[in-house]
Amino acid sequence: TPVQTDWRVNVLIIVFTEMRDKLRKWREDNHRNSEQIVDVGEELINEHASKLGDDIWIIYEQVMIAALDCSRDDLAWTCLQELKRQFPGSQRVKRLAGMRLEALEKYEDASKQYDSILQDDPTNTAARKRKISILKAQGKSAEAIRELNEYLEQFVGDQEAWHELSELYINEHDYGKAAFCLEELMMTNPHNHLYCEQYAEVKYTQGGLENLELSRKYFAQALKLNNRNMRALFGLYMSASHIAASPKVNATVKKANVKYATWATNQINRAYQVSYARCLL
Amino acid sequence: MVSSFWRDVVGVGLFALAHAAFSAAQHRSYMRLTEKENETLPIDIVLQTLLAFVLTIYGIVHISGEFKDMDASSELKNKTFDTLRNHPSFYMFNHRGRVLFCSPDREVSNIPNAEALRNPLRLRKLKHLH
Repeated sequence: TPVQTDWRVNVLIIVFTEMRDKLRKWREDNHRNSEQIVDVGEELINEHASKLGDDIWIIYEQVMIAALDCSRDDLAWTCLQELKRQFPGSQRVKRLAGMRLEALEKYEDASKQYDSILQDDPTNTAARKRKISILKAQGKSAEAIRELNEYLEQFVGDQEAWHELSELYINEHDYGKAAFCLEELMMTNPHNHLYCEQYAEVKYTQGGLENLELSRKYFAQALKLNNRNMRALFGLYMSASHIAASPKVNATVKKANVKYATWATNQINRAYQVSYARCLL
Repeated sequence: MVSSFWRDVVGVGLFALAHAAFSAAQHRSYMRLTEKENETLPIDIVLQTLLAFVLTIYGIVHISGEFKDMDASSELKNKTFDTLRNHPSFYMFNHRGRVLFCSPDREVSNIPNAEALRNPLRLRKLKHLH
């Protein structure tokens, strides 16, 4: 009957828009749930290509990268071919071809690909960042760090690159320089509680009384920005307890830090009680 | 998905606004012709302008999509390191996923770097130190 067909078509349309919106949300929030992206994206491409319109190209790109993560080289190749056909000579597509070569561990060929992009357009940041990723993948962390520093001297505003550099320094246990990178990020994103918290963690790892006090302050700042940040709460408790336990502090500082640690303990207990009560509902 | 009703409301509001402006201009030229330049705009034109203004604003508010919080940090309350740590421009692909998701019938020998299998990464790193 006609009514039944309408209902089914409506459900299909709802399902299709949901899938497309999910993909967009994952793309905008930088989720790396590649298995899900491949599942949803592959179905979208195969079944609903006509309804997507111009969105399909960015979905091809997103699905291709996810397919490389999931070792689905066939799907990645298909997406790449479609993009090559639609955008011949595009540098963004060339970069994707290079990424595919990287996934197949053909680092020399990938490097040549990026060099050709940089020859045509020396300001192309994407190709430079991929070259740095090749160095990272080959385990050459010192060179990767050096190249990334040079890149940041020219492109000082690139926040992703600063965060990447901080991660590289943390892997090398160079916490002072990692802290510097995180300071840059905190300056440009003063309302982001996560950068505050990561900075506090780095300072805490460095150790020493001064760094512990600084870390306690930044954990407190992270909590001020977001009072639901549990890691910052635990960090506040740990740093305050360590300062109180240190033999180098005088009695007043010790008393103050014990007070902070107790406050943090109470907050943590309360948070657990609230979430337990919520589970029971 | 913008409802076309609100778009029509904005259209009607803008049209009414334009109509009121046109009427006011005509009124002004009529006043100049009859040399009664002291008279203020007739009340119906004023009312039409105000009502059209309110209608347009109300319609635009419904079209413009979801409002964001004024507090800059509240948007970030739900953000976690799960997503903050991902740097799409720096993604690497030499992770376990290349092997984990590999279908069992596919040969593992499509890895061209055969030395990598015999010499895992940590031993390769140690080699550099000598």
